[in-house]
Amino acid sequence: MLLALLLIPLVTAIAVAAAPEKQARALALCGTLVGLLLSIVIAVQFNYQDAGLMQMPMSIAWYDTFGLNLSLGIDSISLVLILLTTFLLPLTILGSFTAVTQRAKEFFAWLCILEAAMLGVFAARDLIVFYVCFEFTLIPMYFLIAVYGSANRAKASIWFFLYTFTGSIITLAGLVYVAWAYQMSPEGTGNWTFDIATLTAFCSEHMTAAQQGWVLLALCCGFAVKVPLFPVHTWLPLAHTEAPTAGSVVLAAVLLKLGTYGLFRFAVPMCPLAITTYAPLLAVLCIIGILYGALICWVQTDVKKLIAYSSVSHLGFCVLGLIALTSIGISGSVAYMINHGLSTGALFLCIGMIYERYHTRAMDDYSGLAKVMPVWATFTVFFILSSVGLPGLNGFIGEFLCLVGTFISGDGANPGTLGPMYAAIAGFGMILAAIYLLYLAGRVLFGPLKLPDTHHHGHDDKGDDHAAPTLPQDLTGREVLVLVPIAVACIVLGVKPGVLLAPIAAPIEQMVSAVSEAHTRHAALLIDGAPPGLPPAEDDEAALASAEPMSRDIDTTDNRPSELGRKEGLGQ
Amino acid sequence: MTLESMQPMLSELSVLLVPATAHGGGAASHGAAAVSEAIAAGPWFAMFIPLFPLLAAVVCGLFAFTRRYDPKRSKIPGWCCVLGLLLSFVTSVAVISRIGHDTLQVTIFEWIASGSLQADFAFYLDPLTSIMLLVVTGISTLVALYASEYMSGDRGYARFFAFIGMFVFAMTCLILADNLVLLYLGWEGVGLCSYLLIGFYYEKPSAVAAAKKAFIVNRIGDLGFALGIMLTYMEFGTVEFAPLFQALSGHSPESVSGSVQIIPFLLMLGAFGKSAQLPLYVWLPDAMEGPTPVSALIHAATMVTAGVYMIARLAPLFVLSPYALPTVAWIGGLTALFAATIGMAQYDMKRIFAYSTVSQLGYMFMGIGVLSATGAVFHLFTHAFFKALLFLGSGAVMHGFAGQLDIRRISGLRKVKGWGVVTWTMLVGCLALAGFPFLSGFFSKDTILAQAFVTPGYGFTILGFMGLFTALLTAYYTFRLFFRVFLGPQRYEPGDEHHADDDGGHGHEAEHFHPHAPGWAINLVLTILALGAAFSGYVGVFGGEEHGWFGGMMHASTGNAVTESLAASHGADGHAAGEAAGFWADPHKWMMAVSAVIGLVGILIAWYFHLLNRQAADRLKERVRPIAVLLENKWYVDEGYDILIRKPLRMAGYVFYLIGDTIIINGLVALGGAIPRLIGSTIKPMQRGILHGYGLGMAAGLCAVLAIMWWLIQVGVT
Repeated sequence: MLLALLLIPLVTAIAVAAAPEKQARALALCGTLVGLLLSIVIAVQFNYQDAGLMQMPMSIAWYDTFGLNLSLGIDSISLVLILLTTFLLPLTILGSFTAVTQRAKEFFAWLCILEAAMLGVFAARDLIVFYVCFEFTLIPMYFLIAVYGSANRAKASIWFFLYTFTGSIITLAGLVYVAWAYQMSPEGTGNWTFDIATLTAFCSEHMTAAQQGWVLLALCCGFAVKVPLFPVHTWLPLAHTEAPTAGSVVLAAVLLKLGTYGLFRFAVPMCPLAITTYAPLLAVLCIIGILYGALICWVQTDVKKLIAYSSVSHLGFCVLGLIALTSIGISGSVAYMINHGLSTGALFLCIGMIYERYHTRAMDDYSGLAKVMPVWATFTVFFILSSVGLPGLNGFIGEFLCLVGTFISGDGANPGTLGPMYAAIAGFGMILAAIYLLYLAGRVLFGPLKLPDTHHHGHDDKGDDHAAPTLPQDLTGREVLVLVPIAVACIVLGVKPGVLLAPIAAPIEQMVSAVSEAHTRHAALLIDGAPPGLPPAEDDEAALASAEPMSRDIDTTDNRPSELGRKEGLGQ
Repeated sequence: MTLESMQPMLSELSVLLVPATAHGGGAASHGAAAVSEAIAAGPWFAMFIPLFPLLAAVVCGLFAFTRRYDPKRSKIPGWCCVLGLLLSFVTSVAVISRIGHDTLQVTIFEWIASGSLQADFAFYLDPLTSIMLLVVTGISTLVALYASEYMSGDRGYARFFAFIGMFVFAMTCLILADNLVLLYLGWEGVGLCSYLLIGFYYEKPSAVAAAKKAFIVNRIGDLGFALGIMLTYMEFGTVEFAPLFQALSGHSPESVSGSVQIIPFLLMLGAFGKSAQLPLYVWLPDAMEGPTPVSALIHAATMVTAGVYMIARLAPLFVLSPYALPTVAWIGGLTALFAATIGMAQYDMKRIFAYSTVSQLGYMFMGIGVLSATGAVFHLFTHAFFKALLFLGSGAVMHGFAGQLDIRRISGLRKVKGWGVVTWTMLVGCLALAGFPFLSGFFSKDTILAQAFVTPGYGFTILGFMGLFTALLTAYYTFRLFFRVFLGPQRYEPGDEHHADDDGGHGHEAEHFHPHAPGWAINLVLTILALGAAFSGYVGVFGGEEHGWFGGMMHASTGNAVTESLAASHGADGHAAGEAAGFWADPHKWMMAVSAVIGLVGILIAWYFHLLNRQAADRLKERVRPIAVLLENKWYVDEGYDILIRKPLRMAGYVFYLIGDTIIINGLVALGGAIPRLIGSTIKPMQRGILHGYGLGMAAGLCAVLAIMWWLIQVGVT
């Protein structure tokens, strides 16, 4: 079934490419809708009792010598991200019906291929499958930006490609290193495997904290670029701004989640010891990203760039919740992935709709659009509020849980090493989000009416054989149809977040307890081989207590894991 | 007002957190009541209290998007909204009759459940909720009725009522919430509606700016609130009121950790933002850009009192820090005085009342801070009537005179035909605000001020005198407005606002201008509110032992049980002493006389300068010109915030964007990109576009990275 899910978009892509220009859009829409249906079937068949297990597994041997398998399987985290992808793709395609007029066939085919690659990432159970899909997303995206983007698209596409490719090559090195180490170790006995579960278990159980640290660094190189974390975020505004609407939507809604998903799937479970040590460092980067990105948003004059930088700020919360290593924080992080996908994706769609009408992204060109486009304005305000994190809408749940998770991280009951100060400082991002998004609303939606000079637009129409059908001033039924499902999803997730939080709880609990166990085991090791200077611990509980940061004091939580690392080094 | 009911409480705070279920006899039965383990289930139909306004909002919202709906002709959305709010009010009354003096709980559905964090859509019903429900649903119904006339002909008629319905939904969620997260939902929800309604005339840049300011300043407070919720959860493992109060029982400031004592200070920030206290009050005066019914409902009667409600509700948390409530008191007292000084020098009717609202909210905070939660909520209750009345009266003037609000340009309205009801009801409202004897504001303000002289320590006596001085200023600025606008020679200029329903009937020019007298809906609402402003104070006098029916209700709520007993444990029981030593020993008695005199003096000063001898006022202003300018410019606080906070942050944004991102990071990236290119140009011959060559290169590069990593790991391990 999962294989079918991956093949449908690919088949659609081929069909779209082969079909005549006129039917391309409809075909692409149908294909992605079938994908959506199939993913719903999968969601229905999914066994939520064992949400933490990899379900619907399938495996095809590929290259035995190296243990390569085309193996797929999903747990509930993968499932929700797959649903996000299959939910947004048809809407994105529907939203691009009139926006893309030239080479439309290839455009929709690339989108379908992109969907397949993204689904592959979420469904992969094999490292190489994961990595191939992860990297393969670059190619369709590259073409979407390079061919269909706006003025500065050449630079944007190259930056996008090289930036992320450089990062992920290092990630690949890290992953290959883990596989190699496994193969060398007594557990692996010379057999290669790229099975994610095996390697994760090996890495978390048998690698030293220092080794894990290097693996973590390698993984972070690729994933942090993708997320993007400060300071490797500068490809994002460029790519977002230049990409066509559909590209921006997919980029913001799903592609960025590949980074957070990678951190979730690999960085935390593979390196439980290292992540606690370096979580404060990463958290500082997240917080800088949150505040830095938000302040930059506030001075933008380009609507799309503002939303692009808001992703830098928002994803900081997402990663912060993840590395808090509390079940609340990680739940919040996963919820944030979904919610950011919905609200930022929708905002890009909204911006795309006015861009399609007036062909400018400059804030100075617009003012008071609410007067002539009340329906559009209502939707835009709605998604802005969802993005600001208004309780009752989806954005709040993720943001609040991430912050709560960070706040209670390191209070003794959790393996995390963050604490209230991190949450408090990150919280200023909430204020800044309100500032820059309402600044956007105030400039573009409200105020005295001012429309851009449409002369340029008219000129385009004349010079264009596939002249875009002129759109009415306010939204068409099709455009409303694009936005309504997202708005409904925002309300549902805001009012009944249980539909999302309940299924994802099990794998998250598993992960948190695995991290705790890794620390317990590690502490036990430490005690066994403790140098004479250290007081011997009496029992396991005491060992646990000494290994886990108990103090609420931020300074000591900061130091303790690194002390741990040092002691560990001595112990070797 | 027999006073022996407050006997010195010997019992510790621990047992006082759960409200007494029965209030009667005046014996010390309350407080010491047994801790009830389970809270009784409340009536299920309580869910309709927020549901009806929400439905009304949805219906009005659908009207707003219906192309065929003509806002010039039909008032259907207005009536839908009035009906929805009225039904909500009726439901509230039914629920309130069930609550009595008990505490009930209703769970509607499960909302957030993650890990051990549980926050349901559930209601916590106690007498404090009852009082707030009465105020919110009652006043909002009246205001909606008023607005059905006031807003008629506006293009956004349906949109307006959709927002009002949403507001009442959020506000009732706020006061019904049984956990901090739902309270926060209502809290942000009312903030949103406030944002949307302040910016209702979205084509006016000033309205858009005011709306944005309101939302952002509130967000600053809300961050504190959110962090307070998180810290509460971290310390107590729950955000629901009932288990929280249970967990708090048995604690005193000595027995809790330092971080618990931080919680009230964080929560306080939220309250100061929402209720416009120093230093976060700046948004409220600007919020007057919204339509006047909004100013009356949201920015005077209901939303801005949410902070007072929150502190009253969470009083058991606030008493755990010995400095929390005194801080609240001092902030409140200072805000009251500060805002009153600004109110004295403004010329815009709505702005005067806005500063007056800030000032009166300051009184409420002072009341709760000096351990009279009863006084605070009592003042909240009476203030809702008279301030709504004053705003709606100003709105009627504004409506009739094409947006004219300047008290220098309008005079002697009493004599204009059709303005009798407005004049008389405004008089009642002004008297109530000025603390004129035997009107509602008189009783409630006295309760607070007297308590300031009763509770010892923390300089509360100074605060009491400050409060009295503020009362003088209040009486002065209120009647400055009244004497200028409603009495004196008849003279008026129209404002610059072309009201949508003018239809060319009366134009801009002063010579053709005919004021447009209010219709039945406006007059009816003003009359009802005037009755409330005149008589609502008596619920705090009759019908119960101490502070009447009102005191009885408050006593049975979470807010007061704690503060009362804390006051008692301070030995702050002025009443017993009062009985022994006569009139002057009991502030609750002499305060009535003193404040009555002060109110009258304030009115007399205003009478002299603004009715009898208006030139004298101008001369006096010339004498104290620097002070007058300072006050007219609101102490330059907005300008200060702009220079100290807004500008530096924006500058930081530019620096980050232009230097951080564009030059430093992108520069480094470009540099990184240039190195391979340099190398590439030296080994160019190797690149011939043959695929396996590139593949080989990539594999070699990968090996190199692996080798480096392997080496690093060796170094790292050993």
